[in-house]
Amino acid sequence: MTSFLTAVYIMWYRQIKRFLRMKSRVITAIIQPLFWMVFFGLGWAGMFRGQISKSFFGGSFLAFLTPGVVMISVSTISFMSGVSVIWDKEFGFLKEVLVAPASRSAIIFGRALGDSTVAVMQGLIVLLLSIVFYPNLNVTFLPIALVSMILTALTLTSIGISIGSKMSSMEGFQLINTLIFMPTIFLSGAFIPLASMPNWMKTLTLINPLTYGVDATRNALTGVGFLPLTIDLLLLSIFSIFFLGLSALIFKRTTIG
Amino acid sequence: MNAIETMNLTKRFGNLIAVDHVSFNVKWNEIFGFLGPNGAGKTTTINMLITLMKPTEGEAFVADYNVVENPEEVRKRIGVVFQDPTLDRHLTGWENLWIHGRIYGIPKRELKIRIKEFLEFVELDNWANVQVKNYSGGMMRRLEIARALICNPEILFLDEPTLGLDPQTRVKIWDYIVKLKKEMGVTIFLTTHYMEEAEKLCDKVAIIDYGKIISMGTVNELKHSIGGEVVYIKTNDANYLAILASKIESEGFAEKTKIICNEILAVYTKKASETIPMIFDVAQKLKIKVAEITYHIPTLEDVFLKFTGRRLRDEKVDFFEHFRMSRMRRWRK
Repeated sequence: MTSFLTAVYIMWYRQIKRFLRMKSRVITAIIQPLFWMVFFGLGWAGMFRGQISKSFFGGSFLAFLTPGVVMISVSTISFMSGVSVIWDKEFGFLKEVLVAPASRSAIIFGRALGDSTVAVMQGLIVLLLSIVFYPNLNVTFLPIALVSMILTALTLTSIGISIGSKMSSMEGFQLINTLIFMPTIFLSGAFIPLASMPNWMKTLTLINPLTYGVDATRNALTGVGFLPLTIDLLLLSIFSIFFLGLSALIFKRTTIG
Repeated sequence: MNAIETMNLTKRFGNLIAVDHVSFNVKWNEIFGFLGPNGAGKTTTINMLITLMKPTEGEAFVADYNVVENPEEVRKRIGVVFQDPTLDRHLTGWENLWIHGRIYGIPKRELKIRIKEFLEFVELDNWANVQVKNYSGGMMRRLEIARALICNPEILFLDEPTLGLDPQTRVKIWDYIVKLKKEMGVTIFLTTHYMEEAEKLCDKVAIIDYGKIISMGTVNELKHSIGGEVVYIKTNDANYLAILASKIESEGFAEKTKIICNEILAVYTKKASETIPMIFDVAQKLKIKVAEITYHIPTLEDVFLKFTGRRLRDEKVDFFEHFRMSRMRRWRK
């Protein structure tokens, strides 16, 4: 039996190598959040000034939006890990991994870690570029933002992998993407302040792991948040452990045909 | 113990029975072939042996380990080349082998040496650093064979190793397979629906159809099971075939007859050159016109025809044309 860590490392290595080969994906993942910042952020920024900005966004709309955009780019890439599972099914690579004498948990953990690394790296790039638009971010808290990004990425890659393992077609995943991932984004507080949501919507945001990721990052970078930072990080840790375990469980039962 | 042993191995998908109480043994250092048409249950059998699927019924031992109870032990001792490519197309050939070797726990230094060795073996050393998506189908298959060998398997499973490859590449892959057995002592289990492949490579062949083994033995044993030679006759009106068949049997100059696909009569005989004139006599007496007639020394295809009454491949080529072509191929060699 291959050692657990070797298997984790080699799957991590594979996911990273693979991502770096796909130049178009790298570029898309950086450009897209920038569009949000420029067109959406600068577009609305003029509208939300003064009192509105203070009461809803804790000071400035751009300060509010920047952590949101960063976290959306992290979670989009993380969730796409499910697509790579389906591709691997389609091109047969998954079979090759399934017959290997290595722990399935190690394999899935390595995958999640690899895709999370990619997602966090991209999140960091987006964050650094956002400073161009909004230079007043609290950079000393960057390490804490990083922790929140890592935990969020692990949670969402695990969810993506779990769904991908159960799906057999790309079309199916697109449907899930729309049905689950879109609401996850809208109900995370990335674009819309939680405080201004109707109560039923607010309840939904509380079961959404991304809510705590966005809130933790916002806490770290702007000093303003809906919940205290420690609670955000605690809940995020619980979510990431739960979903990692779940994905390992689902992947263990994966068979072909 | 043998390399592979199965007892009543069975796989059901709902009501459908894909593999039906299959029992066979594969000796160490033997090339064992599963020959049968598409959908006969070959791949399902392999999937059970390599621990990807659980049998519904029956038992299987690979390298002395039960596939259900000790899948990990089985996986350590086998190499698999699947029917469809299972490579990571975005990685290079070298990287594919590297990831495989590391997952199988081969130490880095040793792995580097082995990758070099096996890339040379399949003549892909010049392509090591090219992404697999730029490889041809034959090159991918060769890379997969190299990959399956990296972890020093005792038993190698090849599912349709030359499916969809051009003739030159096919011959090359046959060479590798024979070399593997002779030089490295690997036991090989392969499936194929090409009878030439089974004849050329296999020490022992099991003919499988609708999930059942219908005949098993060495290539020669199987051919002899037909008893001599085969004559194929086509008449102007297929309705007369049955009459002709019963007459031939009652005259007693052929051992057995069989009507194939409702259009052709197969006559199994010791010496076709003597039987043919007698067939003409009988036909003339019955006022039946023979449209075409051919005979040859049996191939595995004839064995399959005899046991199933169907052809191995459902190609739309005319029956006689098919045999003419396969005979021409043999002459060319």
